[in-house]
Amino acid sequence: MEGASYQRFPKVKIRELKDDYAKFELRETDASVANALRRVMIAEVPTIAIDLVEIEVNSSVLNDEFIAHRLGLIPLTSERAMSMRFSRDCDACDGDGQCEFCSVEFHLRAKCINDQTLDVTSKDLYSSDHTVVPVDFSDTSSGFENPEDQRGITIVKLRKGQELRLRAIARKGIGKDHAKWSPAATVTFMYEPEIHINEEMMETLSLEEKTSVVESSPTKVFGINPHTQQVEVVDPEAYTYDDEVLKKVEAMGKPGLVEIYAKEDSFIFTVESTGAVKASQLVLNAIEVLKQKLDAVRLSEDTVEADDQFGELGAHMRGG
Amino acid sequence: MASKREADPCWAYGTKIEGNSQWVQLARRYLPLFAIDNYALDASQGMREVDRQFLAAPVKSAVDKFQLLPEFLKVRGLVKEHLDSFNYFVNTEIKKIVRANDLVKSRLDDKVYLRYRDVWIGTPSVVVDGVTDEMSPQKCRLGDMTYSAPIYVNIEYCNGNHGQNTHPLFKREVIIGRMPIMLKSSKCVLYGKDEDELAKVGECPLDPGGYFVVKGNEKVILIQEQLSKNRIIIDTDKKGCIQASIMSSTAMTKSKTVIVMEKEKIYLSLNSFTSKVPIMVVMKAMGMESDQEVVQMLGRDPQYAALLLPSIEDCANHGIYTQEQALEFLEKKHKKNKFGKDEGALGVLRNIFIAIVRVRDNNFHPKCVYVVVMLRRMMDALLNKDSMDDKDYIGNKRLELSGQLISILFEDLFKTLNTNLAKLVDSILNKSSRSSRFDISQHLMKDDITNGLERSLSTGNWNVQRFKMDRKGITQIVSRLSFIAAYGYMTKISPQFEKSRKVSGPRALQPSQWGMLCPCDTPEGEQCGLVKNLALMTHVTTDEEEGPIITLCSCLGVEDLSQLSGEELHSPSSYLIILNGLILGKHRKPQFFANAMRKLRRAGKIADFVSVYVNEKQRCVYIASDGGRVCRPLVIADKGVSRIKHHHMKELKDGVRNFDSFLQEGLIEYLDVNEENNALIALYEGEATSETTHIEIEPFTILGVCAGLIPFPHHNQSPRNTYQCAMGKQAMGNIAYNQLCRMDTLIYLLAYPQRPLLTTRTIELVGYDKLGAGQNATVAVMSYSGYDIEDAIVMNKSSLDRGFGRCIVMKRHTAAFQKYQNSCDKFSPPSRAPHDREKNQILDNDGLASPGEIIRHQDIFFTKLCPENANVSISSHPSNTKYRPNRQTYKGAEGEAAVVDRVALCSDKRNNLCVKFMIRHTRRPEVGDKFSSRHGQKGVCGTIIQQEDFPFSERGICPDLIMNPHGFPSRMTVGKMIELLGSKAGVSCGKFHYGSAFGEPSGHAHKVEDISETLVKHGFCYNGKDFLYSGITGMPLQAYIFMGPIYYQKLKHMVMDKMHARGMGPRQLITRQPTEGRSKNGGLRVGEMERDCLIAYGASNLIYERLMISSDPFEVQVCRKCGLLGYENHKTKAKVCSTCKNGDNISSMKLPYACKLLFQEIQSMNIVPKLTLSDS
Repeated sequence: MEGASYQRFPKVKIRELKDDYAKFELRETDASVANALRRVMIAEVPTIAIDLVEIEVNSSVLNDEFIAHRLGLIPLTSERAMSMRFSRDCDACDGDGQCEFCSVEFHLRAKCINDQTLDVTSKDLYSSDHTVVPVDFSDTSSGFENPEDQRGITIVKLRKGQELRLRAIARKGIGKDHAKWSPAATVTFMYEPEIHINEEMMETLSLEEKTSVVESSPTKVFGINPHTQQVEVVDPEAYTYDDEVLKKVEAMGKPGLVEIYAKEDSFIFTVESTGAVKASQLVLNAIEVLKQKLDAVRLSEDTVEADDQFGELGAHMRGG
Repeated sequence: MASKREADPCWAYGTKIEGNSQWVQLARRYLPLFAIDNYALDASQGMREVDRQFLAAPVKSAVDKFQLLPEFLKVRGLVKEHLDSFNYFVNTEIKKIVRANDLVKSRLDDKVYLRYRDVWIGTPSVVVDGVTDEMSPQKCRLGDMTYSAPIYVNIEYCNGNHGQNTHPLFKREVIIGRMPIMLKSSKCVLYGKDEDELAKVGECPLDPGGYFVVKGNEKVILIQEQLSKNRIIIDTDKKGCIQASIMSSTAMTKSKTVIVMEKEKIYLSLNSFTSKVPIMVVMKAMGMESDQEVVQMLGRDPQYAALLLPSIEDCANHGIYTQEQALEFLEKKHKKNKFGKDEGALGVLRNIFIAIVRVRDNNFHPKCVYVVVMLRRMMDALLNKDSMDDKDYIGNKRLELSGQLISILFEDLFKTLNTNLAKLVDSILNKSSRSSRFDISQHLMKDDITNGLERSLSTGNWNVQRFKMDRKGITQIVSRLSFIAAYGYMTKISPQFEKSRKVSGPRALQPSQWGMLCPCDTPEGEQCGLVKNLALMTHVTTDEEEGPIITLCSCLGVEDLSQLSGEELHSPSSYLIILNGLILGKHRKPQFFANAMRKLRRAGKIADFVSVYVNEKQRCVYIASDGGRVCRPLVIADKGVSRIKHHHMKELKDGVRNFDSFLQEGLIEYLDVNEENNALIALYEGEATSETTHIEIEPFTILGVCAGLIPFPHHNQSPRNTYQCAMGKQAMGNIAYNQLCRMDTLIYLLAYPQRPLLTTRTIELVGYDKLGAGQNATVAVMSYSGYDIEDAIVMNKSSLDRGFGRCIVMKRHTAAFQKYQNSCDKFSPPSRAPHDREKNQILDNDGLASPGEIIRHQDIFFTKLCPENANVSISSHPSNTKYRPNRQTYKGAEGEAAVVDRVALCSDKRNNLCVKFMIRHTRRPEVGDKFSSRHGQKGVCGTIIQQEDFPFSERGICPDLIMNPHGFPSRMTVGKMIELLGSKAGVSCGKFHYGSAFGEPSGHAHKVEDISETLVKHGFCYNGKDFLYSGITGMPLQAYIFMGPIYYQKLKHMVMDKMHARGMGPRQLITRQPTEGRSKNGGLRVGEMERDCLIAYGASNLIYERLMISSDPFEVQVCRKCGLLGYENHKTKAKVCSTCKNGDNISSMKLPYACKLLFQEIQSMNIVPKLTLSDS
């Protein structure tokens, strides 16, 4: 590529990191990069999910397809997913998708024998691979004391005499094909707001007017310092770009009292994972996938494959 | 009505308040504010003695009467009118009918007779191979049986003296037939069962009942609307002449009497007379020979006499002065009755003319009075146009319910049974030698009644010659598309008039419909406004005994007519008292009389549904106790003070009271449409003034069940609510708790139905929150992708992956093992030969598909062996019968896999083995599927888009579907916007929000201000708009987007069932043109309008191709000389004209086959179609 280099070096600052939650700042880059990262996290980071169900016995109230659909949506721990093969590309099993390189087998056997309703949950799924198991939510120490709540995800409820027996095969896939393979529960970002308060103008206001300005924002962005009685920005990120404060200031006849801009090169990301991949790993995997995609474009710079794969984008990247 | 309550004891208070005017004013203003707890207030503030007394008094605080509603529905159910009507028939009416026709006598032998002593209906049962078995409705539905109970009679009979035994014999519990039983009626096994017991018999506890199960189909008898019987109706005929008509209907006769004024002369027109008869002649024939007496009875006012004068003159011109002359005149006009006894003109006057007025001892005086009253009302209408009756007025209508309709049918069938019995007995007695002993009780044919009832119920044709009744479409199959649809059938009222009439009157919304019939729920199009639906609290009355009321009236001072002179009939000082159209007499203090009657009713001394209505204009008091009147409960108020106090509601809550006790204690009463005219009804307690007599229970009860699902309907444009009422019935969801055990022909289910975030009180009352038909979708109102024009919606693919809009379609396929004369169909193991294996793979060894198997297009799901010759003679050995295989293939969408859900075996009516297959198909929404919100806003799915391309908010919320904002301005569905706001507040605070109709003042709907406050509290903007980023670019969108959850319904119309295209395919047999319709894999028609376009465009070759080559091209041989069609000999290839007998001038050309067919058909009618050919 010729011409001026637009190369930038984005910075990441992690604010908060939990197993299934991450919040970080992404600076010195633009919306296209941030959005690409978001899109990849939702749709292209591979995970493992149940894709094929063979039902042996099902006398439950839900029908076979119903149960299969519910099984598919159960998140499975997918640390292995990046290194696994897609079953369509797997040469070990001729693409029938049942070998250890591209699939994991699960078994479920449940029968209700007493008068109490039996909840069949994700914990009843037995995996052939201990690295790929249904996500366990009970140890997130979220404060659930009741053991009933720690039973995993309910698949179906059985009454006396009903039985469910099945074999399920989980495969690698991406969220683009089906939402069950999407590792992300929520991926979102916002522009970092930049809030300027015109202190001089603010001084001219009475306390009531100040409070009214502060209270005009539905979220707690501003506050009044109890000591100095000055309006301060408490939490700029609570601002939802609702313009309420600006409208209020306008209505008060003091335009420019508060000015808010969106910083076009810094983003605050919020990532929540389904539990399939840790939130931090999800981001890293996303970067990895994004890199692979770019590599694919670069490698096949002027080949026909690039055109096949990327259409006009390929030609564009070649400088055409 | 002001004087109505003079005698009421609780009145004393009212006057006291009234006297203390200053206080009253203050109290009126402020009391509602601190009415929450009178007692606490009392103590804390230490009020003065006067005030204390005042506050403890019944004050106008808004008592929340809503709790009455669930209570009301608990004792009543939503289809009480059907059940009541049927119960009345089964318990009372049937006995009356049998008592009226209790004797069957032989015409030949006086001693041979049969008398019915008693009749009753047993418990529903079924007789299988002679064994009687208990029956449940669910068993009938699954086994294609009729849910019916035996009709038992006790009989007394005598077989004549041939056996020297003339003592009457008795038989008990003789079955004369089987009566289909309405579900949940008093004879039904489900009656009084609680939820667990219902579950045990396989019934859904939320099912309303009120329908029948006939041959496995659920049939409902629609409520029939008709003009009330036995009431004088003044209106104009086609020519604009004023007429007074009365449809008389008694147990014996039904007749229509019309008195019409034509060219100032008054005539009577009656079916039994060949032409119109001057009314004065009729009067004279009834013995009122003196003209003066007639004029006197009409009233002193010379206006009336002047109007009658031309008629009197007319009569004199005919030379009729005495009763004999009049009867002679009438005799000439009398139509001779062909069968039955003929009693001449006097008989007609006695029995048919105004049949409700009975003539006793040849005293025609009451009938004369009745005629004069009719004349007087006609003349009133002539002098003053507004005293004309309105036929569309609900008070002039009666609703005919299942009980009445079935009783008509039963009466007819019972009479037929008896005449048949008499005929049979006579024919047997006629025989000279009898082989067996004659026993009359052996000849009761029970099949006549059973089959007659069953046939009428299953076809819906009420063809009763005896009552000149021939109606079609009385019953309909209860549609189980959705729970609400089934409810809709129970409240539907079908009209009696023909639909083609252009007049708008009957279609318009009548003010008297208020509270009785739903103003929203009516179909669009042809039936608009004619088909109506009951409102939530409406009740339809059943017949009430008249006798006690008549006695009561005379006790209360009604002066009998016979004691009055003619002059006094219309004396201005007193009112006529009319009971069910019958003139009882006069009363001098009508208001006092009416009040007394009402007090007695409230005290429970006369039935709750008797209505008393003082018509000041007609100077009449109408008392009605007949069946079919619509009425509704209202809270009684004394001078504007509600009789229901806080402690009553508290007792209700504590379970000490129920709705009936409110009725019994006179706190609540039922008013019918006529009596409503005497009442002043306040909408809310706070609005009551001293004139107020009643207070509404809840304003939202003016809507019916279907309209009750709409949140904030009072904010919508009215047609939108009407559209939703129609669409709610097409929405998929849960049908019933027993939905998976049902074997209906078609079941649509939603995989994950939800209850609406924004509910209404009606939803909770009906049970829609337990059997929902939709899902709460997060909707963004914005434009996206261009695939959202014309109400299309854009859907999020990930939402669909996760189960949004996913539905299960189950279709029933049936097959039967037939029985023939001496052979029957046999099970056959399917062939497992290699070339059959694929098609037969889902079959079990018995030739039936096994449950759980995946079934594809063209798969065989049923095979059997049929005998090749059905009529094998009995002599041939069974092993000689040859069989051929018979199979059924599944026709589904190509490339779609369905699953065999259940296979059920049962025996049908003729004891054939019947196999039912439920085939299930799970579908996810696709482009073209139809969705709708609850505000009449339907739209198809325009495109499905990946989640990452969807807009998102910084909280990470991403909509499930996107709706174009252009849907709002022209539709004006503000309710939908409020629903969005309310649901959004609901999800953020975790509470269901309410949107009942007109609910804001009474707290049954959230106010927008409160909703906004909740939104702000949870960090949303008060107006429900969010700041979104584009999912494609990551840039913020330029506008704030109105986003939040809206309850969306998936409608039953899906592309998969409609999509159709074909190339080559089947053709019709006679015309050789492509078949029509998707089911027959038909072609797509280029119609005349399309053809016009092609002609205008000049695409002649395209027309040629479409209309000829792709359709029915045919080569014909035409004789140039005679112009007729010839033929080509196949063997010799010689072309011959059969008319000219040679082949000299034959040309071959192409014609559409249909054209050739036309020529031949014309020829067959002796017309010669000639073709003239020319070179092109």
